[in-house]
Amino acid sequence: MLLKLSLTGIKGRLRDYIVLFSGLVVASGIFYMFEGLATNTAFLESNSMVKSIVFIFHLGTVLLSIITFVYILYANSFLMTMRQKDYAMFMMLGAKGRKIAQLIFIETFVVGVSATIVGTLLGIGLSSIVQQLLVKQLAIKITHFTAVSSSAALFTLIFFTVIFLLAAFVNAMTIVKKPILTLLRAGETPMPANRKPFTLLLEVISGIAFLAIGYFMMSQVMTLAFFALITALITIVLGTYFVFHSILIFVLDLLKRRDSIALKKLNNFTLSQLSFRIQDYTRILSMVAMLFALALGAITVGLGFHNEIMKMTDATSTYDLVLNNGQEFTASDLKGLSTSSDVAYQQKEDQDTVYYDREQFNQTPFKTKVFTSNRQTKTVGFDGEKLASDVTASDQLRTLELPEQSAKKHQFVSNQEFAALPGKTTELRLITVKDFEKDRDALTKLANENFQKNPTLDKDMGGMSQKALVYELYNALFSGFEFMGFFLGIAFLTMLASCLMFKILSGAKSDIQRYSMLEKIGARQKLLKQSIRKEIGILFLVPGLLGVTHVLFGLQMFKTLLSDPYSNLWLPFLIFFVLYFVYYLLTVWIYTGIVMKREG
Amino acid sequence: MEKIVTVDAVKKTYGKGNQKKTEALKGISFEVEKGEFVGIMGASGSGKSTLLNLLATLDKPTEGQISINQDDVTKLSGNQLADFRSREIGFIFQDFNLLENLTAAENIAVPLSLQGVKAKEIHRRVSEVAQRLSIDGILNSYPAQISGGQKQRVAAARALITQPTILLGDEPTGALDSNSARDLLDTMEELNQKDQVSILLVTHDPFSASYCQRILFIKDGVIYQEVKRENQTREAFYRQILSVLGNLEQ
Repeated sequence: MLLKLSLTGIKGRLRDYIVLFSGLVVASGIFYMFEGLATNTAFLESNSMVKSIVFIFHLGTVLLSIITFVYILYANSFLMTMRQKDYAMFMMLGAKGRKIAQLIFIETFVVGVSATIVGTLLGIGLSSIVQQLLVKQLAIKITHFTAVSSSAALFTLIFFTVIFLLAAFVNAMTIVKKPILTLLRAGETPMPANRKPFTLLLEVISGIAFLAIGYFMMSQVMTLAFFALITALITIVLGTYFVFHSILIFVLDLLKRRDSIALKKLNNFTLSQLSFRIQDYTRILSMVAMLFALALGAITVGLGFHNEIMKMTDATSTYDLVLNNGQEFTASDLKGLSTSSDVAYQQKEDQDTVYYDREQFNQTPFKTKVFTSNRQTKTVGFDGEKLASDVTASDQLRTLELPEQSAKKHQFVSNQEFAALPGKTTELRLITVKDFEKDRDALTKLANENFQKNPTLDKDMGGMSQKALVYELYNALFSGFEFMGFFLGIAFLTMLASCLMFKILSGAKSDIQRYSMLEKIGARQKLLKQSIRKEIGILFLVPGLLGVTHVLFGLQMFKTLLSDPYSNLWLPFLIFFVLYFVYYLLTVWIYTGIVMKREG
Repeated sequence: MEKIVTVDAVKKTYGKGNQKKTEALKGISFEVEKGEFVGIMGASGSGKSTLLNLLATLDKPTEGQISINQDDVTKLSGNQLADFRSREIGFIFQDFNLLENLTAAENIAVPLSLQGVKAKEIHRRVSEVAQRLSIDGILNSYPAQISGGQKQRVAAARALITQPTILLGDEPTGALDSNSARDLLDTMEELNQKDQVSILLVTHDPFSASYCQRILFIKDGVIYQEVKRENQTREAFYRQILSVLGNLEQ
């Protein structure tokens, strides 16, 4: 009988349950995907130059486990706010506490475990989709990646089962231990906390100071190393906490004091809702802001590595294609290229010397990259005279020659002298194209043909002179990083946004009366919805903004790894905000549905 | 006298389509004149809450018309209804319905903010109405920090601040102790007599009802009887109400 009652209760709140269930499904799905990577040591090691990557992923697992745990607690409290009045009613009707506890236990556990199973299946599906998408879209090279991993699935199942067992136990205990009357009257707001203005001001100042120290430390990572990292971590966490515990309340208070803002439409109500909420939300908002920074940072740095591929490639190779014995390549061989320059330096050689025509270099100087002071490279041109007089200059030319040529001396002779020399004329052909990305396949093919035609070229050594092959090398090197950054970022984002969503939604029940009252005294529906959008908007926006600020300062730390961590920032930010915004809309939609049910 | 509320042959039926239909109001007509203090009494299930919801424009009648201040409220919808409520009707509920995260002053100011009244004017009117209801000492307190009687006065101040056509009371003394209840009723009587505030009180408490000038008794969805206080003392009127209630239950 009770089970039947319980099932009808679920049916009545199907929409809320669907949200809860899908939230849990996504959580376990993401957990599976992450574990799929973390337990795949072969994949991690083959895709990263950093030895500690396996350790980093274990750290990630710990972090993700903590977030998942918090997330499930919030999701659970949302479940409980939906159900506790029903349970209290069953108890009033005479159901025994033990029986109710059993019911809650079963309900929580069944919902949790079935969500985990569906989630794991979803995770397997998503893994293969993500794999294909990333591989295609970003031309990422990943090896040893498998979508189906039994150890990850097992780990996910065990982890979630344990958490749900715990949650079910906690739920059952709290409901049974609470007096029935408290349950029936659940959702009434506590008294406003009275904070002394002086303490508030002190917290505001120390909050700003902590953030300032943290941001400064992150820019000093190069010089102060670990000390800077640890100081930054501590002060930023503290600063973030104070922002929500005092700065935000301080600002809301200032706004409330301004009559022109507060006494307009529902502003006073919205502001008061927020300042009451934020006291209660300090911890979750701080956590969201920190995770937001981590997730956005991971995606930004991940994509930063993607940008690095082309930059590093450009920095190493001046020419897009090097053809030794270029005379053997016909025009039709090069048909597929959008050539922007095609220089052929003629060579003649004897026993111990390679001869070049000096005039040809005067006409089109030989270009090469040199390092400048700040780890950047620039292109310089060498004419015939420079090459003839400067050994380091002609050494640059040597790197493009065949091994048997580069072992010989160089002579840059005049046009007539070159013509008079005996022997066969060969060509060193150096080509640049208009669009490297577009022509990359054709360039790779020609580079490989060059190896075939010149069997003495060592692919390992000579590969570095072919831009298309250099690109492949860097691509393989950085793709692992990129993939992991992306993956970590998306996983964290989904979890943190879900946490925030459920935290906000579990407060919705207590707002029903407020909104219905405002409606009775003549507040238009549009105004009420606007108030909801503003309130939830701020709860999403502030941790987001703080997270963005953390990232902007935090990128300082990556100056050692990436040549320009701030380039193309808009892309990761855009991806991130679109996803975050979807969560915001979803929260507003469900929240409105709960507090203004009469219309729905 | 000017009629401010006209209820004309109002019926309300619950249950749609194939569901079993329940007739809560079976054709009710009455009028309220400007400056009147009218009570509506009836047992639970008599239809008095339904009537109140219709008068409050929170629900619409199945048949018939309701006019408040010459506006046919059955023809209004959406935003018009919301604006109408904020302009013409003041509410006092049994459970106060104050926003507990706003101070008393802020609670009182909400209807004026909704109407877009200037801040300066809001402050003036809040302190005026607070003085009138003797709550100027608690304006900066939150609802949780004040007594039930004070809460209801704050609610009354919020209802009166827009100078509505009619004040609707839904068991306003229901959650108050007898002293606070008497205070509130005295205040309402004074508002009615001195400031000509029209009041419609829905109650099942004979003591509260004895403050009214006229009482409509509702039974099974129709008006069963109407009694007037006229020149009786309140005690005499109270006894008359009790005897009508006695008959009503038989």
